[in-house]
Amino acid sequence: MTGPADDRDVTLLRPYLMTSGRSAPVDHTIEIEAQVITSARGLAEHPMLSFERRDIVSLCRTTMSVAEIAAMLKIHIGVARVLVADLAQLGYVVIRRPDTQTPQDLAMIERVIRGLEAIR
Amino acid sequence: MDSKPSAEPLSGGRKPPTPVKIVIAGGYGVGKTTAVASISEIPPLRTEAAITAVGAEVDRPGHTPGKTTTTVALDFGCITIDEDVKLYLFGTPGQDRFGFMWHDLVVGALGALVIVDTRRLDDCYPAVDYFEKAGVPFVVAVNKFDGMLNHDLNDVRWALAVSDEVPLVTFDARVKLSVRDALLAVLRNTFDRARSRAGA
Repeated sequence: MTGPADDRDVTLLRPYLMTSGRSAPVDHTIEIEAQVITSARGLAEHPMLSFERRDIVSLCRTTMSVAEIAAMLKIHIGVARVLVADLAQLGYVVIRRPDTQTPQDLAMIERVIRGLEAIR
Repeated sequence: MDSKPSAEPLSGGRKPPTPVKIVIAGGYGVGKTTAVASISEIPPLRTEAAITAVGAEVDRPGHTPGKTTTTVALDFGCITIDEDVKLYLFGTPGQDRFGFMWHDLVVGALGALVIVDTRRLDDCYPAVDYFEKAGVPFVVAVNKFDGMLNHDLNDVRWALAVSDEVPLVTFDARVKLSVRDALLAVLRNTFDRARSRAGA
Protein backbone atom coordinates (compact mmCIF):
# COMPACT_ATOMS: atom_id res chain seq x y z
CA MET A 1 0.00 0.00 0.00
CA THR A 2 1.45 3.31 -0.98
CA GLY A 3 -1.63 5.31 -0.02
CA PRO A 4 -0.57 6.74 3.36
CA ALA A 5 2.80 7.93 2.02
CA ASP A 6 1.09 9.65 -0.89
CA ASP A 7 -1.38 11.30 1.44
CA ARG A 8 1.42 12.92 3.42
CA ASP A 9 2.81 14.38 0.23
CA VAL A 10 -0.34 16.25 -0.65
CA THR A 11 -0.95 18.12 2.59
CA LEU A 12 0.11 21.44 1.10
CA LEU A 13 -2.01 21.19 -1.98
CA ARG A 14 -5.61 20.31 -1.40
CA PRO A 15 -7.17 18.84 -4.48
CA TYR A 16 -10.32 20.36 -5.77
CA LEU A 17 -12.97 18.70 -3.64
CA MET A 18 -15.67 18.44 -6.23
CA THR A 19 -13.40 16.56 -8.60
CA SER A 20 -12.92 13.81 -6.01
CA GLY A 21 -9.31 14.52 -5.28
CA ARG A 22 -8.05 14.46 -8.83
CA SER A 23 -5.78 17.46 -9.17
CA ALA A 24 -4.78 17.16 -12.83
CA PRO A 25 -7.80 17.95 -14.97
CA VAL A 26 -8.43 15.55 -17.83
CA ASP A 27 -9.39 18.29 -20.21
CA HIS A 28 -11.07 21.39 -18.90
CA THR A 29 -10.97 23.15 -22.24
CA ILE A 30 -14.29 21.65 -23.26
CA GLU A 31 -16.29 24.38 -24.96
CA ILE A 32 -19.34 25.66 -23.13
CA GLU A 33 -21.54 24.84 -26.14
CA ALA A 34 -20.19 21.25 -26.44
CA GLN A 35 -23.04 18.73 -26.49
CA VAL A 36 -23.19 16.12 -23.74
CA ILE A 37 -25.22 12.92 -23.76
CA THR A 38 -25.32 10.09 -21.24
CA SER A 39 -24.08 6.64 -22.31
CA ALA A 40 -25.70 3.31 -21.54
CA ARG A 41 -23.01 2.77 -18.94
CA GLY A 42 -23.70 6.14 -17.38
CA LEU A 43 -27.41 5.37 -17.17
CA ALA A 44 -26.76 1.99 -15.55
CA GLU A 45 -24.21 3.20 -13.06
CA HIS A 46 -25.19 6.78 -12.26
CA PRO A 47 -27.00 5.88 -8.99
CA MET A 48 -23.57 5.00 -7.65
CA LEU A 49 -22.10 8.37 -8.46
CA SER A 50 -22.20 11.24 -6.03
CA PHE A 51 -23.89 14.64 -6.12
CA GLU A 52 -23.26 16.72 -9.21
CA ARG A 53 -21.80 13.83 -11.18
CA ARG A 54 -24.97 11.83 -10.69
CA ASP A 55 -27.08 14.88 -11.55
CA ILE A 56 -25.16 15.48 -14.77
CA VAL A 57 -25.46 11.89 -15.96
CA SER A 58 -29.14 11.89 -15.07
CA LEU A 59 -29.77 15.26 -16.78
CA CYS A 60 -27.96 14.36 -19.99
CA ARG A 61 -30.33 11.57 -20.96
CA THR A 62 -31.45 14.41 -23.19
CA THR A 63 -28.56 15.96 -25.09
CA MET A 64 -27.55 19.36 -23.76
CA SER A 65 -24.64 21.77 -23.71
CA VAL A 66 -22.15 22.27 -20.89
CA ALA A 67 -23.64 25.75 -20.40
CA GLU A 68 -27.14 24.29 -19.99
CA ILE A 69 -25.83 21.76 -17.44
CA ALA A 70 -24.24 24.57 -15.42
CA ALA A 71 -27.43 26.64 -15.54
CA MET A 72 -29.78 23.77 -14.69
CA LEU A 73 -27.69 22.47 -11.80
CA LYS A 74 -26.73 25.99 -10.68
CA ILE A 75 -23.05 25.19 -10.66
CA HIS A 76 -20.20 27.37 -11.87
CA ILE A 77 -19.49 26.82 -15.54
CA GLY A 78 -15.83 26.01 -14.81
CA VAL A 79 -16.92 23.24 -12.43
CA ALA A 80 -19.34 21.87 -15.01
CA ARG A 81 -16.52 21.65 -17.56
CA VAL A 82 -14.25 19.69 -15.25
CA LEU A 83 -17.01 17.30 -14.15
CA VAL A 84 -18.16 16.67 -17.72
CA ALA A 85 -14.58 15.96 -18.81
CA ASP A 86 -14.23 13.49 -15.94
CA LEU A 87 -17.48 11.73 -16.74
CA ALA A 88 -16.49 11.46 -20.39
CA GLN A 89 -13.19 9.84 -19.48
CA LEU A 90 -15.07 7.30 -17.36
CA GLY A 91 -17.36 6.55 -20.29
CA TYR A 92 -20.48 7.80 -18.54
CA VAL A 93 -21.18 10.55 -21.04
CA VAL A 94 -20.27 11.21 -24.66
CA ILE A 95 -19.26 14.70 -25.78
CA ARG A 96 -19.74 16.27 -29.20
CA ARG A 97 -17.35 19.19 -29.38
CA PRO A 98 -17.72 22.06 -31.82
CA ASP A 99 -15.41 22.48 -34.76
CA THR A 100 -13.17 25.47 -34.11
CA GLN A 101 -12.75 25.98 -37.87
CA THR A 102 -16.46 26.74 -38.27
CA PRO A 103 -15.93 30.48 -38.98
CA GLN A 104 -14.12 29.43 -42.19
CA ASP A 105 -16.59 26.72 -43.13
CA LEU A 106 -18.68 28.28 -45.91
CA ALA A 107 -21.07 25.33 -46.19
CA MET A 108 -21.79 25.40 -42.45
CA ILE A 109 -22.33 29.18 -42.43
CA GLU A 110 -24.77 28.84 -45.35
CA ARG A 111 -26.57 26.08 -43.53
CA VAL A 112 -27.05 28.25 -40.45
CA ILE A 113 -28.21 31.16 -42.65
CA ARG A 114 -30.84 28.90 -44.26
CA GLY A 115 -31.95 27.68 -40.85
CA LEU A 116 -32.37 31.23 -39.55
CA GLU A 117 -34.14 32.37 -42.72
CA ALA A 118 -36.72 29.65 -42.09
CA ILE A 119 -37.71 31.33 -38.82
CA ARG A 120 -40.99 33.20 -39.20
CA MET B 1 -16.12 -11.65 -18.98
CA ASP B 2 -16.66 -7.95 -18.81
CA SER B 3 -20.37 -7.25 -18.92
CA LYS B 4 -20.08 -3.49 -18.40
CA PRO B 5 -22.77 -1.51 -20.20
CA SER B 6 -21.37 0.20 -23.24
CA ALA B 7 -20.10 3.74 -23.37
CA GLU B 8 -22.19 4.37 -26.48
CA PRO B 9 -24.50 7.39 -26.24
CA LEU B 10 -28.16 6.79 -25.44
CA SER B 11 -29.21 8.41 -28.70
CA GLY B 12 -29.19 5.02 -30.41
CA GLY B 13 -26.07 5.54 -32.47
CA ARG B 14 -27.13 8.98 -33.60
CA LYS B 15 -24.57 11.64 -32.86
CA PRO B 16 -25.53 14.67 -30.80
CA PRO B 17 -25.97 17.82 -32.93
CA THR B 18 -23.00 19.95 -33.92
CA PRO B 19 -23.07 23.09 -31.78
CA VAL B 20 -22.34 26.46 -33.37
CA LYS B 21 -22.52 29.82 -31.63
CA ILE B 22 -22.85 33.55 -32.00
CA VAL B 23 -21.70 35.86 -29.22
CA ILE B 24 -23.92 38.79 -28.27
CA ALA B 25 -22.02 41.55 -26.51
CA GLY B 26 -22.71 45.03 -25.22
CA GLY B 27 -23.03 46.99 -22.00
CA TYR B 28 -25.42 46.26 -19.17
CA GLY B 29 -29.06 46.87 -19.97
CA VAL B 30 -28.47 47.29 -23.67
CA GLY B 31 -30.84 44.50 -24.69
CA LYS B 32 -28.69 41.37 -24.91
CA THR B 33 -30.94 39.18 -22.80
CA THR B 34 -34.02 40.65 -24.48
CA ALA B 35 -32.57 39.78 -27.89
CA VAL B 36 -31.74 36.22 -26.80
CA ALA B 37 -35.22 35.80 -25.28
CA SER B 38 -36.93 37.09 -28.43
CA ILE B 39 -35.54 34.34 -30.66
CA SER B 40 -34.44 31.47 -28.41
CA GLU B 41 -36.46 28.24 -28.38
CA ILE B 42 -35.90 27.88 -24.68
CA PRO B 43 -36.35 30.61 -22.07
CA PRO B 44 -32.90 32.20 -21.70
CA LEU B 45 -30.77 30.45 -19.14
CA ARG B 46 -28.27 32.13 -16.89
CA THR B 47 -25.02 30.73 -15.63
CA GLU B 48 -22.07 32.13 -13.77
CA ALA B 49 -18.69 32.45 -15.40
CA ALA B 50 -15.40 33.68 -14.07
CA ILE B 51 -13.72 36.55 -15.84
CA THR B 52 -10.17 37.55 -15.15
CA ALA B 53 -10.32 41.26 -15.61
CA VAL B 54 -7.09 42.98 -16.52
CA GLY B 55 -7.56 46.67 -15.94
CA ALA B 56 -4.08 47.91 -16.74
CA GLU B 57 -5.01 49.30 -20.13
CA VAL B 58 -7.94 51.31 -18.92
CA ASP B 59 -7.49 54.86 -17.75
CA ARG B 60 -10.31 55.41 -15.38
CA PRO B 61 -10.27 57.77 -12.44
CA GLY B 62 -10.13 55.77 -9.27
CA HIS B 63 -9.57 52.57 -11.18
CA THR B 64 -6.66 50.58 -9.85
CA PRO B 65 -4.71 48.79 -12.53
CA GLY B 66 -4.26 45.16 -11.80
CA LYS B 67 -5.93 41.86 -12.15
CA THR B 68 -9.13 40.83 -10.47
CA THR B 69 -11.35 37.85 -10.93
CA THR B 70 -15.03 38.56 -11.00
CA THR B 71 -18.03 36.45 -11.69
CA VAL B 72 -20.36 37.56 -14.41
CA ALA B 73 -23.69 36.26 -15.56
CA LEU B 74 -23.81 34.64 -18.95
CA ASP B 75 -27.26 34.54 -20.51
CA PHE B 76 -27.85 32.17 -23.35
CA GLY B 77 -30.43 30.54 -25.52
CA CYS B 78 -30.51 28.26 -28.55
CA ILE B 79 -32.09 27.73 -31.93
CA THR B 80 -32.36 24.41 -33.77
CA ILE B 81 -31.02 24.99 -37.27
CA ASP B 82 -31.71 21.48 -38.57
CA GLU B 83 -31.54 17.99 -37.14
CA ASP B 84 -27.77 18.07 -36.89
CA VAL B 85 -26.95 21.69 -36.10
CA LYS B 86 -27.85 23.71 -33.04
CA LEU B 87 -27.09 27.43 -32.77
CA TYR B 88 -26.27 28.84 -29.35
CA LEU B 89 -26.49 32.54 -28.53
CA PHE B 90 -24.33 33.69 -25.68
CA GLY B 91 -25.03 37.13 -24.28
CA THR B 92 -22.35 38.58 -22.09
CA PRO B 93 -21.49 41.87 -20.44
CA GLY B 94 -19.07 43.84 -22.50
CA GLN B 95 -17.97 46.92 -20.67
CA ASP B 96 -15.20 45.38 -18.65
CA ARG B 97 -11.85 44.09 -19.68
CA PHE B 98 -11.91 40.58 -21.00
CA GLY B 99 -9.92 37.65 -19.78
CA PHE B 100 -9.64 33.98 -20.50
CA MET B 101 -13.37 33.45 -20.37
CA TRP B 102 -13.74 35.71 -23.37
CA HIS B 103 -11.23 33.68 -25.29
CA ASP B 104 -13.23 30.55 -24.46
CA LEU B 105 -16.39 32.27 -25.49
CA VAL B 106 -15.27 33.45 -28.90
CA VAL B 107 -13.19 30.47 -30.08
CA GLY B 108 -15.05 28.95 -32.98
CA ALA B 109 -17.83 31.54 -32.85
CA LEU B 110 -19.56 32.23 -36.16
CA GLY B 111 -19.32 35.90 -35.28
CA ALA B 112 -20.47 38.48 -32.81
CA LEU B 113 -23.26 40.99 -32.54
CA VAL B 114 -22.29 44.08 -30.57
CA ILE B 115 -25.46 45.76 -29.34
CA VAL B 116 -25.24 49.50 -28.90
CA ASP B 117 -27.37 51.98 -27.04
CA THR B 118 -26.73 55.37 -28.64
CA ARG B 119 -27.19 57.09 -25.28
CA ARG B 120 -24.27 55.13 -23.87
CA LEU B 121 -22.02 54.48 -26.82
CA ASP B 122 -18.85 54.04 -24.81
CA ASP B 123 -20.25 50.94 -23.08
CA CYS B 124 -19.49 48.92 -26.17
CA TYR B 125 -15.93 50.13 -26.84
CA PRO B 126 -14.22 47.22 -25.03
CA ALA B 127 -16.26 44.66 -26.98
CA VAL B 128 -15.49 46.31 -30.33
CA ASP B 129 -11.84 46.55 -29.34
CA TYR B 130 -11.71 42.92 -28.28
CA PHE B 131 -13.34 41.52 -31.41
CA GLU B 132 -11.11 43.61 -33.65
CA LYS B 133 -7.97 42.40 -31.93
CA ALA B 134 -9.16 38.79 -31.73
CA GLY B 135 -10.13 38.82 -35.42
CA VAL B 136 -13.72 37.81 -34.69
CA PRO B 137 -16.07 39.02 -37.43
CA PHE B 138 -18.67 41.28 -35.85
CA VAL B 139 -21.61 43.48 -36.68
CA VAL B 140 -22.66 46.54 -34.68
CA ALA B 141 -26.40 46.64 -34.03
CA VAL B 142 -28.04 49.77 -32.70
CA ASN B 143 -30.99 48.83 -30.54
CA LYS B 144 -33.89 51.18 -31.24
CA PHE B 145 -35.35 51.42 -27.78
CA ASP B 146 -37.92 54.03 -28.63
CA GLY B 147 -38.26 53.39 -32.31
CA MET B 148 -35.94 56.28 -33.10
CA LEU B 149 -32.26 57.00 -33.10
CA ASN B 150 -30.50 59.70 -31.19
CA HIS B 151 -27.71 59.63 -33.71
CA ASP B 152 -27.29 59.21 -37.41
CA LEU B 153 -25.73 55.81 -38.16
CA ASN B 154 -22.72 57.51 -39.71
CA ASP B 155 -22.20 59.38 -36.46
CA VAL B 156 -22.28 56.07 -34.62
CA ARG B 157 -19.69 54.62 -36.97
CA TRP B 158 -17.51 57.65 -36.50
CA ALA B 159 -17.88 57.60 -32.71
CA LEU B 160 -17.04 53.91 -32.51
CA ALA B 161 -14.17 54.33 -34.97
CA VAL B 162 -15.00 51.08 -36.72
CA SER B 163 -13.92 50.56 -40.31
CA ASP B 164 -16.33 50.70 -43.24
CA GLU B 165 -16.10 46.93 -43.53
CA VAL B 166 -17.91 46.46 -40.22
CA PRO B 167 -21.63 46.31 -40.98
CA LEU B 168 -23.82 48.62 -38.93
CA VAL B 169 -27.49 47.76 -38.56
CA THR B 170 -30.43 48.91 -36.50
CA PHE B 171 -32.80 46.47 -34.88
CA ASP B 172 -35.34 46.03 -32.13
CA ALA B 173 -34.24 43.47 -29.54
CA ARG B 174 -37.86 42.83 -28.55
CA VAL B 175 -38.91 41.69 -32.03
CA LYS B 176 -38.09 38.14 -33.06
CA LEU B 177 -37.71 38.75 -36.80
CA SER B 178 -35.67 41.87 -36.16
CA VAL B 179 -33.25 39.83 -34.02
CA ARG B 180 -33.20 37.14 -36.71
CA ASP B 181 -32.21 39.75 -39.31
CA ALA B 182 -29.44 41.10 -37.08
CA LEU B 183 -28.10 37.55 -36.66
CA LEU B 184 -28.30 37.03 -40.42
CA ALA B 185 -26.21 40.19 -40.85
CA VAL B 186 -23.59 38.61 -38.57
CA LEU B 187 -23.57 35.37 -40.56
CA ARG B 188 -23.43 37.08 -43.96
CA ASN B 189 -20.54 39.22 -42.76
CA THR B 190 -18.69 36.11 -41.55
CA PHE B 191 -19.49 34.35 -44.82
CA ASP B 192 -18.14 37.23 -46.92
CA ARG B 193 -14.97 37.37 -44.87
CA ALA B 194 -14.43 33.62 -45.05
CA ARG B 195 -15.02 33.63 -48.80
CA SER B 196 -12.64 36.48 -49.50
CA ARG B 197 -10.03 34.76 -47.35
CA ALA B 198 -10.54 31.48 -49.19
CA GLY B 199 -10.27 33.29 -52.52
CA ALA B 200 -7.14 35.20 -51.55
